Amino acid sequence: MSESPVLEIRDLHVTFTARGREIHAVRGVDLTIERGQTLALLGESGSGKSVTAKAVMGLLDQPGVEVRSAVARLGGRDLLTMSAEERRALRGSAMTLVFQDALSALNPVLSVGDQIGELFRVHRGLSRKEARARSVELLDLVGIPAAATRIGDYPHQFSGGMRQRILVAMAVALEPDLIIADEPTTALDVTVQAQILELIDRLRRELGTAVLLITHDLGVAAEVSDRVAVMYAGRLVESGQAEELYDLPAHPYTAALLAAVPDLDRPASELRAIPGAPPSPATTPPGCSFAPRCGRASDVCASTRPALVPLESGTGRYAACHHVKEMLDGAPA
Amino acid sequence: MAPPPEPAAGPVARPGGAGPGEPVLRATGLHKTYRGGILSRGGAVRAVAGVDLELRAGETLGIVGESGCGKSTLARMLVGLERPDQGEVAFRDRPFFTRGGVPRDIRRRVQMVFQDPLTSLNPRMTVLDIVAEPLRVHRLCADARALRDRVGELLSLVGLQPERMNRYPHEFSGGQRQRIGIARALATEPDVIVCDEPVSALDMSVQAQVVNLFAELQRTLGVALVFIAHDLAVVRHVSHRVAVMYLGRLAETGPAAEVYGSPAHPYTMALLSAAPAAKPRLRGRSRIMLAGDPPSPVAPPPGCRFHTRCWKATDRCAEREPALEPVSGDGHDAACHYAERPS
Repeated sequence: MSESPVLEIRDLHVTFTARGREIHAVRGVDLTIERGQTLALLGESGSGKSVTAKAVMGLLDQPGVEVRSAVARLGGRDLLTMSAEERRALRGSAMTLVFQDALSALNPVLSVGDQIGELFRVHRGLSRKEARARSVELLDLVGIPAAATRIGDYPHQFSGGMRQRILVAMAVALEPDLIIADEPTTALDVTVQAQILELIDRLRRELGTAVLLITHDLGVAAEVSDRVAVMYAGRLVESGQAEELYDLPAHPYTAALLAAVPDLDRPASELRAIPGAPPSPATTPPGCSFAPRCGRASDVCASTRPALVPLESGTGRYAACHHVKEMLDGAPA
Repeated sequence: MAPPPEPAAGPVARPGGAGPGEPVLRATGLHKTYRGGILSRGGAVRAVAGVDLELRAGETLGIVGESGCGKSTLARMLVGLERPDQGEVAFRDRPFFTRGGVPRDIRRRVQMVFQDPLTSLNPRMTVLDIVAEPLRVHRLCADARALRDRVGELLSLVGLQPERMNRYPHEFSGGQRQRIGIARALATEPDVIVCDEPVSALDMSVQAQVVNLFAELQRTLGVALVFIAHDLAVVRHVSHRVAVMYLGRLAETGPAAEVYGSPAHPYTMALLSAAPAAKPRLRGRSRIMLAGDPPSPVAPPPGCRFHTRCWKATDRCAEREPALEPVSGDGHDAACHYAERPS
């Protein structure tokens, strides 16, 4: 694999300052996504997964927010040395974002044809008529029936699933290198969720786009991702190939999450709850952030933060845990 | 930490006020239609259109369905917060909806836990006041001291420190707030608690704690639960019996193991097949993909409500609405002309 990755982020930090208090929402996150690959960024609320996505998109350039990273490259372009204007031109064309709530992401007073067409007119300089024709093609692509007649409809005239399809259409319109999907199916019903996940996966295969999927749902991550990165309290605690990570989690947090999720096929198994609650981003414990809730925690966990290091398996797995060896050997906690 | 509860495996005799298996709550022919205001052009929303249910003492009845299927309206009718247009809910054979409203002693015995603990708890009341309110309303404590003692007892029952009773809801985490809501529901020693999406606003690591708490409370107090959720796996985990709703009607109902193990209604099959599994190895399995979204409850399709999305549908389905009929012995019913029956 000599091709350079689509997205490469090293040591990303995001700090919010409000009323003199600093909140470190993201503390040193590395992300790499290859072409045509889906990486799921998995975490609970407050873990910093959405902030990471916004930082990558460059949507956090505002007072009170400090974003810094050692490396930030998108398809060979260096995002760090780029001017704000150049970066703005990339948004919507080279990297795009699918939001969770389609109704608030779409403009209610513009027809969907105008909104999709705007992408072509602004980024590609197409005429109104050409833009409209391309919009119809896109609506077709994402499976909206009778696309040509619905192009003039407004967002409220579509159902929730259809609106999410329109967002996906807008995200793939200019054939981006990277699609960031931030909880794209959380607001949808189960049967519609399956349709949207399949759509994103199909477009990824057909167009060869890289996808960064932000989700809190272990099931959703398992369904579509090649690699999974698990976030806890602003840091990655583990990452690896989806199958390996689910089969044999290397971090106690991942293992605990998997045990806490009810399994449709094994209903009689008990749910193993994780005691306590995730730490607030404002007050993270020293040492390992998960130590206060971890069954394996020892003295070293409370004092020294484990670094995210590659595991010996040679399959690109990383974990940040002092007890990773016991985890992989399956020693009881 | 409480010991992990044993899994809800099947209807077993439980300690409690009523004998096991005896119906405590029965709903017959429930209908509820919301008529629009002057701004609505669409017409009336038929939220619930003919639902019969029975809840037995000490059991958990899970209700699953997608948004707009009427499960929250059903929940509100089951506790008497909403009056049905037609039909009746009865608590131990006594009707809910009398001329003078729902009788006070029935309201005491049938309680509710809401989805969003932050909006269902008054932010300006302390936890003590919140949990004590039902005790005051139903005059269950003689004096202020007894009230405090009882609130402390309830808080420990749901795993909160009694010393924190003078704090406000915002000082608690999401999971703890839901525990406050549960403590409030338990205050009047109910026989039935209706829980409307009680864990869906919680983080997954906290969700399991609350699910386990429900199982434990049922084991120790023998309370019957109606557990409404859209998460199929959670419902499977907590329920003895399950009802699947689609557009205001029951599509299928029966023992949880039967409904999940051998679903009879195509909609149940599709739901189970669409549920994401936390197992990457299962990817690429053949799944039933339903086309489109659920239709609007303003204009439900004629005949079988599911026929517009069903792969088994024929002309008969578009014309005649199927009734809920037994597919096997033990109370497993489905409303489908072409229900899968064990041969």
